[in-house]
Amino acid sequence: MTPLEWGIVALALVGAFFAGVASIGIVRLPDVYTRAHAASKSDTLGAVLGIAAAALAIQTDLATIKAVFLLTFMFLTNPTAAHAIARAAQDQGIEPWTAGDEEGKS
Amino acid sequence: MSSDERTGLYVESTIIMTTVRVVAPFVLTFALFVMFHGADSPGGGFQGGVIAGSVVMMLAFAYGIDAAREWLDVRVVATLASGGVLTFATIGLGTILLGGNFLEYHLYEQFLSHATAYGIELVELGIGGIVASVAIGLFFLLAAGFGHAVDAPEDES
Repeated sequence: MTPLEWGIVALALVGAFFAGVASIGIVRLPDVYTRAHAASKSDTLGAVLGIAAAALAIQTDLATIKAVFLLTFMFLTNPTAAHAIARAAQDQGIEPWTAGDEEGKS
Repeated sequence: MSSDERTGLYVESTIIMTTVRVVAPFVLTFALFVMFHGADSPGGGFQGGVIAGSVVMMLAFAYGIDAAREWLDVRVVATLASGGVLTFATIGLGTILLGGNFLEYHLYEQFLSHATAYGIELVELGIGGIVASVAIGLFFLLAAGFGHAVDAPEDES
């Protein structure tokens, strides 16, 4: 395998790892703020690394440019969407989960 | 009741406003790209129209629904929808007037070269206008809340 192929495999694996962490976080974390935290950080990184691997693997001009555009806008919009959700939740008066609220969801 | 309190207290977020300002032109360009590529690749008027409508929803999220309503009058939205229907009907029925079937584009070739391509793209644009304006109109109606349901149809007509 060439160094480029090793790089693509590494990017895809690390991206899959972060996407998996984000999925577990969205299912297991207790309230909207912590879930938005998982969705904004890990999920963005997982998606961006996955798209970067795809952009390197395709290697035709137009498709690679499209993938890079996708990557840029993923980086811009995904955290902003999570910010908007958290802001709207606070606006609605949802109390953040604390260690005291053990009787809630697992 | 509660929706009145919330709109009164709405404070714009710098983060959301900046992102929307950066992203909105690209989204609108992408909407036109999808509409024009409908003839020979995945995409088309329906998908592009929804993407174009989402620009207005993003602006409403960033700047507040009242600012979006002031900026985009309901009459403009209704004109866009009926204009799309009119475009589609004119192109579709025009071929019948020329003695062909509905949407038989190649009959326009006698007036204009590449008329088939232009006809398809114009119909896609018309569909895009209809879908975008209907999506925007539904969003505005939903955002009015159920408390205003009585006067919301008044605004439409």
